[in-house]
Amino acid sequence: MAYVRKNVRALTAGERRRFVNALLTLKRRGEYDEFVRMHIDFYAADGEKGLRTAHMAPSFLPWHRRFLLELERALRRVDSSVTVPYWDWTRDRTTTSVPWTKDLLGGNGRRSDRQVMTGPFAYATGQWTIKEGVTDGRFLTRDLGRSAAPLRLPTRSELQWALDDPVYDAWPWDSTVRKGFRNKLEGWGAGSGSASWKNHNRVHRWVGGAMLGGASVNDPVFWLHHAFLDLQWYRWQRAHRRHRYLPAEPPRASDAQHRRVVARHQKLPPWDETPDQLDDVSRIYRYA
Amino acid sequence: MVVGVGGVAVGAEQQAAAGAARPSRREVARGLLVSAAALALAPVVAASRPVHPAQADGNSFDETYRGRRIRGVLVPVAGRRAADGEWRITIDGRPLHLMRRADGSWLSMVDHYTSYRTPLEATRAAVDEIGPRQRLRDLAPDRLGGGHADGHSGGHAGGHPGGDADMGGRHGVRA
Repeated sequence: MAYVRKNVRALTAGERRRFVNALLTLKRRGEYDEFVRMHIDFYAADGEKGLRTAHMAPSFLPWHRRFLLELERALRRVDSSVTVPYWDWTRDRTTTSVPWTKDLLGGNGRRSDRQVMTGPFAYATGQWTIKEGVTDGRFLTRDLGRSAAPLRLPTRSELQWALDDPVYDAWPWDSTVRKGFRNKLEGWGAGSGSASWKNHNRVHRWVGGAMLGGASVNDPVFWLHHAFLDLQWYRWQRAHRRHRYLPAEPPRASDAQHRRVVARHQKLPPWDETPDQLDDVSRIYRYA
Repeated sequence: MVVGVGGVAVGAEQQAAAGAARPSRREVARGLLVSAAALALAPVVAASRPVHPAQADGNSFDETYRGRRIRGVLVPVAGRRAADGEWRITIDGRPLHLMRRADGSWLSMVDHYTSYRTPLEATRAAVDEIGPRQRLRDLAPDRLGGGHADGHSGGHAGGHPGGDADMGGRHGVRA
């Protein structure tokens, strides 16, 4: 029977505690850092050569869906009642709302060095030492709202702008494409500056600190953020029932994107599953 | 272990794809070694020129930005046009890995969700994000020595020696 992923604001005190404890257990066992490394390893940019799976590519959504499932399975081996909650950043928008509470992910980083000082992931607890970070800092960092150059979380209408696009993705299937649900949600815009950070990218930037870098998985909010994005894929599918993951077929040899992206029925590394197989996960979980 | 869960036998074709999808640690390590070699020479060159004022041409930069020494040099790669060399960048002597977007802009390991017009801008932006008293982590020992009990490397790599010979550097830099 399918289990339920809930809005993090709806978790009971007991559910919050069990979710946090399961994360801390994976961290203690060294499993969590494997997830951090995996995300680093699979970050490929589109201005270079090679296959892109996790970012700047159509498989951004199925790759992260599968990545979340992997984490969720690990959590549920620790505690079978746990599922990954989602953070609706169109609704919980301040630096003190959920999930930034002491019983969940803890609060903002302090001003001097952006170190998270509260909650179960604060360094002083001894339970969350950063081992696979971009810098040699051993503590989790955040800069909620980006103090030096403030920005706002994406709005409901910005998210809707992505959801309203009936086409899943479009050629050249990368960070430069201006149409299609996938990149409007992933959020690569033209050039630099505030206009270039939309939805997914903008949230990484709003959280800041660890979430801004290649080792963003070090902040557990990564999972809550990506669960919400995964929910958007489900919502998009429901809104555009005649549309599906694209490309349906691999780009031809004459195409610059040949062997650069994963088509609907191709295996999505590192897993033995295709975007098509990850299209419908209603037998595994559903969102409440 | 991450991949053990989804760990499944994969066909040869898929292994090649998996190889192309992830950076070879060996490749990354080699990049860092070359980088270290190039930088070992750099101080000799740098000593003969002032650190201030900042200098930047199209092929290199060397300046102190917010108290950090940032240096970058475009290193020619055999068999390629000059502009297609590799950027070797350091912040206070530690390598900073850049990646290139299809629109020609640059993003760094520190700042993965925004891109910048030039390697210098991306490097300065990385300095902006690195907290006080923190330094870039030198990934080389891990990458070189397989210092981790690295289960997932063995797992999802599934063995792909040379599988990514044709891929761009991930956190290595290829212009």
